[in-house]
Amino acid sequence: MPIHEKSLIRPENLTTHEELVLDGVDVSGHWSTFIETRVVKDYNEDMQDEIAALPGGEHIHRCWQCGSCTNACTVNALNPDFNPRYWIYLIRMGYESELLRDKDIIWQCVSCNKCTYACPRDVFPEGVMKATAHWLEKKGHTEKSPSTHFDEVFTEQIVSTGKIEESRTMRRFFSRTGQALAQPWMIEMVKRMLRGLPVGMLTRMGLATLIAPKTNDWSKASAAIQEYIDEQHDKQVQALSLAELVETAKQDVAA
Amino acid sequence: MTTKDKYKKVAYYPGCALEGSGHSYNRSTKAVGKALGLELVEVKNWNCCGAMEVKNIDPKIQTYLSSRVMSTAANEMDMDVVMAPCNGCYHNLKKAEYDLANDQESAEVVDRLSKKAGHKTYESGQVETIHALDWIKESIGEQGLAERVKNSLSGIKVANYYGCMYTRPRHIFPEKDQGPGSESTSKPHFMDDLLAAAGAENVDFPLKTACCGGAHTLSDSDTSTKLVLNILKAAKLSGADVIATECPTCHSGLEMHQIRAEKTLGEKVDIKILYFTQLLGMALGLKAKKVGVHENINDSMKFLKEKGLG
Repeated sequence: MPIHEKSLIRPENLTTHEELVLDGVDVSGHWSTFIETRVVKDYNEDMQDEIAALPGGEHIHRCWQCGSCTNACTVNALNPDFNPRYWIYLIRMGYESELLRDKDIIWQCVSCNKCTYACPRDVFPEGVMKATAHWLEKKGHTEKSPSTHFDEVFTEQIVSTGKIEESRTMRRFFSRTGQALAQPWMIEMVKRMLRGLPVGMLTRMGLATLIAPKTNDWSKASAAIQEYIDEQHDKQVQALSLAELVETAKQDVAA
Repeated sequence: MTTKDKYKKVAYYPGCALEGSGHSYNRSTKAVGKALGLELVEVKNWNCCGAMEVKNIDPKIQTYLSSRVMSTAANEMDMDVVMAPCNGCYHNLKKAEYDLANDQESAEVVDRLSKKAGHKTYESGQVETIHALDWIKESIGEQGLAERVKNSLSGIKVANYYGCMYTRPRHIFPEKDQGPGSESTSKPHFMDDLLAAAGAENVDFPLKTACCGGAHTLSDSDTSTKLVLNILKAAKLSGADVIATECPTCHSGLEMHQIRAEKTLGEKVDIKILYFTQLLGMALGLKAKKVGVHENINDSMKFLKEKGLG
C-alpha cells in the first residue's frame, strides 16, 4: 500500500482551539492541535471500469504502484500536486472525492510519454491521464478543458478537409475558449515573423488563410470517420451510464 | 538493395506544419536532399497524420489517418520508404504501423474505414517509415557528408534538441536501441553525428529529449513557457550558441515561448534556434535564404554571417 497519508493532513482536517481548558488545565494554542478522523464513505466502484472504457485507459488495472510514472513526469517537476501514480491509486480504490480534489489539473498532462517510457507494467499512464481527464468532463465534474477544445477544433477541421491550416485552427480555438488573439507576446511574435519575409512568402501565407489546404476526394473518408466518431460516442455514453446521469439530474430538477 | 541505396529515393510526407509554421524546415529539407543528390517524391494527395489532437479524441482514427498516407505511398506510388521530417508525423506513422501489426481491433477499424473511403487498406510492413535524420545518416553517412562540406560549421556550438516524439514510447521504434550504429532512445545521437560531421561543436546538453510542452502550447501556455525556458537556459548554460531542432512543433514552440518568456516573465535568453537541415544546408554551401533562415521567427542572420555562413 503506498504511503499517501501525509497528503491527507490538510488544513481543514486540523483543529486548533484558541481557548480550551480541560480538567482545569489550559491547553489553548497550537500544541493542542489534533487531526480529525477522516472516513471515506463514497467509494465509486465503477470508476476504474468507466475510465478503462475510454481510449487510453484500457491498461490501468496493470499498475502496481511503483511510482516510476510520477518520478519521470514532466508536469510533476513543475507542480508536485500533479501525481499520476496517486491518481491511478485513487481510481483503482474508487476514492472519487479524493480524485475530484485534483480535477482541474489532470488535463495538464503534456503527453511527453516519459511515464510510458518508464513504466515497467505497460500501463500507458499518458493514455490513462487522457482517459481520466475525459471521464471528468463527460461525467460533468469539470468544464471542457482548453486542451479538449483545441482537440475538438483540430479534429473537426481534419474530418471536414483532411488537413490543418494552422492559423484557422488557432483563430477558432481562441474564439471558442473566449480568449483575445491579440495578446502582447503574440503581437511581438507576429512582428518578428514579418521582419525580413519576402512578398512571395507573405502572399502564400495570406492565401492559405483564404483557401484552406485540403485533401482532394475527401468526402467519403470524412463520412466514414464521422460515422466512427458517432458510434464511439454512443458506446461511451453507455459505458459511463451517462443517460442515467441525465435522467437523475432531470428528476432532481423536477423535485 | 542496401539501406543506403533504398533511401536514395523515398516518398516524402511533409505534413501540415511544414506547409505552415514549419515552412523553413520543408524548404531546407528539400534543399539538403537536392544538394546531396537524394530524391524526394511527395506523397500524392496526402492528409494529416492525426497528430496528438485526433489521438486524444480517438486513437483509432489517428491510426486510420496515418495508414491512409502509407497506403497511398505503397499502393498508388509503389514506394517502400516514407520519410517524414516532422516528429509528430513520423511518430504517428510509426505508431500506426505498430498498432496495425499488433492490435487486431485497430486493423479491423482501419480496414472498415479504408473500404468506406474507397482506397486500399494499408497492410503493416508495406512501407518503412523513417525520419529525415535516418534518411541522411543512412544514405550519405557522416563520412559522405564530411566530404561534401563546403563551409564548415566549425566554431558553432550546438545543443541538439530531439524532443519527445522521436524516441518515446520505445515500443513503436523497434529499430532503435539495437546496439552500435542504431539510434538510442535514451541518448539519441543521429543529429549530433551529422552536425559533427559538418564541423559543428556539439555541447553536452542534458535536455535532449525533454518536453517543450508543445501539446499545450496554446491551451496551457504558462506550462509551455516554463518548459521551454528550462530548455533554453540549459542550452545556454551548456555553452551553446544554437539549439538545433528536428521537429516543427518543438521549433515553433521554442521560438514562440522564447518571446513569451521575455514578454510575460521578463526572462530573456539569447540563443539561436535553427533546424538541423538549415545548418547542414549552409555547411553544404547553400545560402541562408535558400534554407529559409529568414522565415524563422528568431533572427540568426547576423550571427551566421559572423561565423562565415549564409
